[in-house]
Amino acid sequence: DVPVLISEDIVISQPAKILNFLRKQKYNADYELSAKQGADTLAYIALLEEKLLPALLHTFWVEAENYCSVTKPWFASRIPFPLSLYLPGKMSREALNRILLTRGGPPLYSLTEVEAQIYRDAKECLNLLSKRLGTSQFFFGDTPTTLDAFVFGFLAPIYKVCFPRVQLQEHLKQLPNLCRFCDDVLTCYFRLTVSGHSPAGQDTADANLQKLTQLVNKESNLIEKMDDNLRKSPQHPPRKLTTLKLAAGGEESSPLNRLSP
Amino acid sequence: TLYFQAFLQMCNLPIQVVCRANAEYMSPSGKLPFIHVGNQVVSELGPIVQFVKAKGHSLSDGLDEVQKAEMKAYMELVNNMLLTAELYLQWCDDVTVEEITHPRYGSPYPWPLNRILSYQKQWEVRRKMKAIGWAGKTLAQVLEDVDQCCQALSQRLGTQPYFFNKQPTELDALVFGHLFTILTTQLTTDELSEKVKNYSNLTAFCRRIEQQYFEGHDKDSSATVTAQSAKRSLLR
Repeated sequence: DVPVLISEDIVISQPAKILNFLRKQKYNADYELSAKQGADTLAYIALLEEKLLPALLHTFWVEAENYCSVTKPWFASRIPFPLSLYLPGKMSREALNRILLTRGGPPLYSLTEVEAQIYRDAKECLNLLSKRLGTSQFFFGDTPTTLDAFVFGFLAPIYKVCFPRVQLQEHLKQLPNLCRFCDDVLTCYFRLTVSGHSPAGQDTADANLQKLTQLVNKESNLIEKMDDNLRKSPQHPPRKLTTLKLAAGGEESSPLNRLSP
Repeated sequence: TLYFQAFLQMCNLPIQVVCRANAEYMSPSGKLPFIHVGNQVVSELGPIVQFVKAKGHSLSDGLDEVQKAEMKAYMELVNNMLLTAELYLQWCDDVTVEEITHPRYGSPYPWPLNRILSYQKQWEVRRKMKAIGWAGKTLAQVLEDVDQCCQALSQRLGTQPYFFNKQPTELDALVFGHLFTILTTQLTTDELSEKVKNYSNLTAFCRRIEQQYFEGHDKDSSATVTAQSAKRSLLR
């Protein structure tokens, strides 16, 4: 289940729980907000989920050209084989299911009608967000808050991903203040370099690769040791061999436990 | 349906509520409620509001663009949280389902149709809950969400008479419809209505709208609102 936050030994998996955890650690982007602004945040997040999310899901997972040429290869490249053959398809089916269950039903009887309606709703939602943002830098003044993060999370994929079918992106590009908002967040908080790769991201990838290499090396060393032991004492009776296997198993499992996230 | 009644009352349109067993078939879209005006029949929230607007009545004309955006956002919050929580409580909480929902939903029909139809509806609702991620929630979590939503509404309302100060809007009608239903519907536990009662400005808001628009309203009408569910008694 993603997203997942791993902090020392604690693993937290849902967005709401992650936010709660961060707040308890005294990281709170909404500290300066009034009660009414906090209420507004909840309301706008509900608006995003009801009106924008179906179209977003559709653009990524249901629209055939988009899914086959961009989404599926992209996700499959990050998922280990053989899950990469199964998971994207499952996510696509779940997206379509969600759209039909929440927005389908009379008087919309065909998929085309549902699609037309969800895109109309999404465009209206984008217009509403644009009106609400106006000329401010962020939704509640000069400092970003949870709402800004949520809106960015929804808008950035629409704005940046190059799909063959782009009706939502084209509509977004007609709302310059939302585009400016996305660009601001990207430059301030993601520090994208000219090539589009985040240097921080690259470092994390390198560190992970190093860790993985160390793990593989340790395991191969252990296997070599086991091999040597077996070669040195071929005439050991079966009982002792079993003990050796158990000991090797115990030895092998504990470093794995220590190293795994 | 209370939302529609409230909305139409707020527009100063006289209405008459009629209950029919075949209401869903009379509706042009299959959904309830619908309004029957002269020789026109219009169903569902969006079209009814548009229809009323086209006839020259609208509650949100006085709002500027930012306020209209806010109103729409809060209406989605109510739909997202309160409506889903009501559905959850009605169809996914086993105790409530057995004791209240099945008998009530199946009451117009003879056995075994009543059981079949209510199980079918339950299956549909559970599928939807699963798709939006509510299937894994416990009753406590759902009540927590309702509390959060009520807190947001209470903070937004503050000490004003209506959400957008002096005049009622579609949002007021919607919030009234849902909160009133929660406060007056008899369930196995009172936890849901207790959550709402924690916010005194919300209960005062409901009472105020009830007194203003529902007591002593005119019975003879030029429009009829049709609904399938049983009548509810007014809050005393």
